[in-house]
Amino acid sequence: MDGIPLLFKYTVPDKLYEKFWEGLKRGEIYTTKCKKCGTLYYPPRKDCEKCMSSDMEWVKLSNEGILMTYSVVKQKPQGFENYSDYTVGIARNSDGANLMCWVKGEAKVGKKVRLTTDGQRVICEVIE
Amino acid sequence: MNRKVAVIGVGNSKFGKRDDVTIKELAWESVKEALEDAGLTQKDIDITVIGSTAYRGTEIYPAPPVSEYCGLVGKSPIRVEAACATGSSAAFTAINLIASGLADIVLAIGVDKMTEVDTSTSLAIGGRGGNYYWEFHMYGTTFPTYYALYATRHMALFGTTEEDMALASVKAHKYATLNEKAHFRNKITVEDVLKSRVISWPIKLLDSSPISDGSATVIFASEEKVRELKIDTPIWVKGIGYSSDTSYIAARGEWVGLEAARDAAAKAYKMAKISPLDIEYATVHDCFTIAEIMAYEDLGFVEKGKGAELLREGQTEKDGKVAVNLFGGLKAKGHPLGATGLSMIYEVTKQLREEAGPVQHSFKRYLALTHNVGGTGHYAYVMIFNR
Repeated sequence: MDGIPLLFKYTVPDKLYEKFWEGLKRGEIYTTKCKKCGTLYYPPRKDCEKCMSSDMEWVKLSNEGILMTYSVVKQKPQGFENYSDYTVGIARNSDGANLMCWVKGEAKVGKKVRLTTDGQRVICEVIE
Repeated sequence: MNRKVAVIGVGNSKFGKRDDVTIKELAWESVKEALEDAGLTQKDIDITVIGSTAYRGTEIYPAPPVSEYCGLVGKSPIRVEAACATGSSAAFTAINLIASGLADIVLAIGVDKMTEVDTSTSLAIGGRGGNYYWEFHMYGTTFPTYYALYATRHMALFGTTEEDMALASVKAHKYATLNEKAHFRNKITVEDVLKSRVISWPIKLLDSSPISDGSATVIFASEEKVRELKIDTPIWVKGIGYSSDTSYIAARGEWVGLEAARDAAAKAYKMAKISPLDIEYATVHDCFTIAEIMAYEDLGFVEKGKGAELLREGQTEKDGKVAVNLFGGLKAKGHPLGATGLSMIYEVTKQLREEAGPVQHSFKRYLALTHNVGGTGHYAYVMIFNR
């Protein structure tokens, strides 16, 4: 027999990393850097776990990178059923940050990529 | 450890799509078997630890109904969770309770009823098995995707192929035909794996462990109790290693092995004062075929990048250099998350007691290991046992 469904509805903080979400809308990727010890974080963080400071500054990440690995998602999870197949990748940019992204173009490990956004997420375009 | 700890009873339910029972009856199947195996009743148990991830079942707080059904009311003050390593986290807690002197006999139950939700919901729960905010929310990652990122990089750096990975699945299914408790008991070929539906390339359906229901129970005891109860073949805990890694998978910097598993293995070998090559039987966490290949490397059976070679040479078959997953592995025996780690201890105990029937491996030093990974290396436990 059917069990009683349990629907989870969530609200997630959007002000906390507003600069990141705003940047995505303009095709730019922002992250945070600790003003005290200089550690660059990606994804952005409110607090520096290394020196315990919470004095962080927003910095724009370089858009040059290399594709480290990828996977083509065929069977999609709840919430993504209406998307056509997408390729999830990890790109390392020239600042040394490792970014999860969706890959556009022919994915291959080691290929140069250009990091941009589609307004909602980081996109890495394979450079032919 | 302050006090020696032994396994004195084990039980394992039939794994599979168990829509004939709720989580309570499912747990009882292995609890009953473990109590009978140890020659004990519930009265003899000091504390019960219940490991369950629970999110895919209707009972999202399963410990009270399970302990009530199993006659363990008053003795189950804790439920533990470490994703796919939940069973080992229950064992870890139980062993510590005895080693510390707080208890003498502890029963660890691992149970999950994972098939009560539909697959798409299950994938969305698994996709949160890393970091919701920075991974799932934006990229729609699924649990297979995380391991696929490792597989793609392992293939690019070491020339591991989809055929190599398929061999792990073929081996698992071959042994599961001999295990009446396994989820799948059919033989498959490399071609079947390669032709199966792509889930998250390069991972295909037959590279993946199933979504299973099941339970496993292990009863641990102090050395004094082992003597008092005159246990004839206690299986001793020789070494325990544990570690963890970043939730955000991209932050790890390399994707060809699980750092948490390597760290856990190093700790376990050090405590047991043995080397990787002393291990004669291992149960490894083959949730996906690439995970078995990486496990050989992370456990030090071969150097990094040579895992596929060990598999191709048949060295991890019964009576090979180090026999691996002779009960069918997570791939074919099934992978009910909470039960898996304890089911691994069940297997190792059966092997070390020489009660493994058609899959009995031949031992010289009676040294065996369990390797249980939670998430994509978010948690890792390596435990070494001997007779």
